[in-house]
Amino acid sequence: MNAIIQNILVFSALSLAIVFLVKKFFWKKKSSKKVCGSDDNCACH
Amino acid sequence: MSKQINVALIGNPNTGKTSVFNALTGLNQKVGNYPGITVEKKEGICKLPRGVKAHIIDLPGTYSLNASSLDENVVIELLLNKNDKDFPDIAVVVSDVENLKRNLLLFTQIKDLEIPTLLVINMSDRMNYKGISLNIDYLEEHLQTKIALISTRKNEGIGRLKDLIANFKDLPITPCLNASEIDQDYFDNLRKAFPNQLLYKLWLVITQDVNFGKTDRKEIDAVANFKTKSKGDLKRLQQKETIKRYQFINNVLKKGQTIDVSQAKDLRTKLDRILTHKVWGYAIFFVILLTLFQAIYDWSSVPMDFIDNVFASLSEWAKDMLPNGAFTNLLAEGIIPGLGGIVIFIPQIAFLFLFIAILEESGYMSRVVFLMDRVMRRFGLSGKSVVPLISGTACAIPAVMATRNIESWKERLITILVTPFTTCSARLPVYLIIISLVIPEGRFLGLGYQALTLMLLYLIGFGVAVISAYILNKILKIKSKTFFVVEMPNYKLPLFKNVALTVIEKTKSFIFGAGKIILAISIILWFLASYGPGEQFHNAENIVKAEYITQNLTEEDLQQKIASHKLEYSFIGITGRAIEPVIRPLGYDWKIGIAIISSFAAREVFVGTLATIYSVGSDDEETIKNRMAGEVNLVLGGPLFTFASGISLLLFYAFAMQCMSTLAIVKRETNSWKWPLLQLVIMTVFAYIVALLAFQFLK
Repeated sequence: MNAIIQNILVFSALSLAIVFLVKKFFWKKKSSKKVCGSDDNCACH
Repeated sequence: MSKQINVALIGNPNTGKTSVFNALTGLNQKVGNYPGITVEKKEGICKLPRGVKAHIIDLPGTYSLNASSLDENVVIELLLNKNDKDFPDIAVVVSDVENLKRNLLLFTQIKDLEIPTLLVINMSDRMNYKGISLNIDYLEEHLQTKIALISTRKNEGIGRLKDLIANFKDLPITPCLNASEIDQDYFDNLRKAFPNQLLYKLWLVITQDVNFGKTDRKEIDAVANFKTKSKGDLKRLQQKETIKRYQFINNVLKKGQTIDVSQAKDLRTKLDRILTHKVWGYAIFFVILLTLFQAIYDWSSVPMDFIDNVFASLSEWAKDMLPNGAFTNLLAEGIIPGLGGIVIFIPQIAFLFLFIAILEESGYMSRVVFLMDRVMRRFGLSGKSVVPLISGTACAIPAVMATRNIESWKERLITILVTPFTTCSARLPVYLIIISLVIPEGRFLGLGYQALTLMLLYLIGFGVAVISAYILNKILKIKSKTFFVVEMPNYKLPLFKNVALTVIEKTKSFIFGAGKIILAISIILWFLASYGPGEQFHNAENIVKAEYITQNLTEEDLQQKIASHKLEYSFIGITGRAIEPVIRPLGYDWKIGIAIISSFAAREVFVGTLATIYSVGSDDEETIKNRMAGEVNLVLGGPLFTFASGISLLLFYAFAMQCMSTLAIVKRETNSWKWPLLQLVIMTVFAYIVALLAFQFLK
């Protein structure tokens, strides 16, 4: 019983960790508005 | 129910705006970003008399409302957008008593937007030193505002400032300058076309290049009977406006301010002569750097050892006290050692930021920027590139964003490309642990070898950044010109509160920013190191017992052999051994290879990863350093972390682009994947070659 609970906790922690990293590095946030002035080229010429 | 008002703190850079913000809000403050952009947003709550609460926003420093950078746009966007939830009920313009004339330009512009505007004259304690006296009543009458004469250093005048903010409704909103004075005909037409709009706001919308302007400008263009002027004409009118404003300010200050130079007791000129001297200036800067790195080592060794031991004991305690099982192992061998790998560096990070904050607060950092400009020009960069390169010692991400105030695209691009070479605080944990393992503790002329090595790594990073800039300057065919203007603030004794808040904020963001990633990676690494496919992993006990049946191994040795065998055939072991041929010539084993790969998420993950990998299967109470020192090189024999492999690893981390977040920010700032990918490939290949040469020569 103890082993099952411990395994469930391990896999839950693992899933949370993977979801966190995927969200952190690969999830693309929608930007609410343009950020680089009216020409919107971030001053890149 | 208490009423809450919005207060915007606005002012030129170096007027002590942040000190006023700290004095008003204390610890009730938070730092974030403006939505959609990465300009820092500081806000806090201040309790005012009569139960009024003030929501205070510390806006980025700006010299005028004619924005030339993204930071300055933030100020204008807020002041012109009444629908913004943070639109101020009162604008508090912070000025510096020694630069009142220049500071008042911004004040008059904000006042003309008919926002209740309060003038704060800061650094009043310096009036005596400079022979300055002010006629506050006269100034209040002619600037049509209330004035709070304060000294954040001596905590004087803050009470009156709070009173004045609470009574913001009494402030007159009469403008300082009649906008029509700029050009009578043009503004008459503007008034006719938009009879219900504030004239000065319309003028700012027409002359600014800010986001909100898109809609407003459409509105202006849609009015057929109004013809706006050409860009050149608008610029000339802007200059005329500035001249008109300075005429007004000069008239007010003629009677409102007296400066008696003969009364000044000024040390600044004498100090500047030495600190920016072409020989002594550099020598003093070098000595300050030496002291800084020596202090980082000497002062933090005791708390570091303490933290290391606490985590080792905590791990042991978790194993002893919690029921046996996979989750207990995850805690004791994964999470606790992984977190220990970051917490251990709190003392050193705090000391580094303590020194940087003191140098900035005292006004010395601006002299360093001025000094370095002379060097930078020879390498095709301007003094403005120094700010990102120096702030890169904290983190490359804000440093890359700090390049936004470089007008020349070529200089900006070069600065973005070379900034990741400067030693960021994320490299510090890697450097510290490796240096402590491979560099002896002896001293030379009172300076520790370890501190000298650390300083050398910082200088190498800076040197390579500058040399790369020189090469890029020759290669990149982009034509542009720029100029460099830096303001030299007065020398000040650093305010303890400001220094403490900087240290707390920076250390907190280092720990929590990296801490979450390290925790997640520690969990995944532990899993990958504790589970594996196939017979070799699942049947490890029988295989090892059969292999060593003829040798009389003790139970402890046998268990160690089994743990080592399992680790080798775990998921992480299989991956590590697959990449080992690539990194073996650098003197690394597969475990270091795994640490290098995982630290691509954030460099500081390196130590946490090794701490986790080395902990798996180990029952001893060991510190991170001892575990690393005890690792054996299975190919060459002897310790894994030798002088040669250590130096190779230090150089690899000094030059490799081991940071996903920096790549993402470079992509955003350059609007292209070309530059970050080029940066990644060149830096990694260069790091590999240097590390390879270092190991092969030193082994």
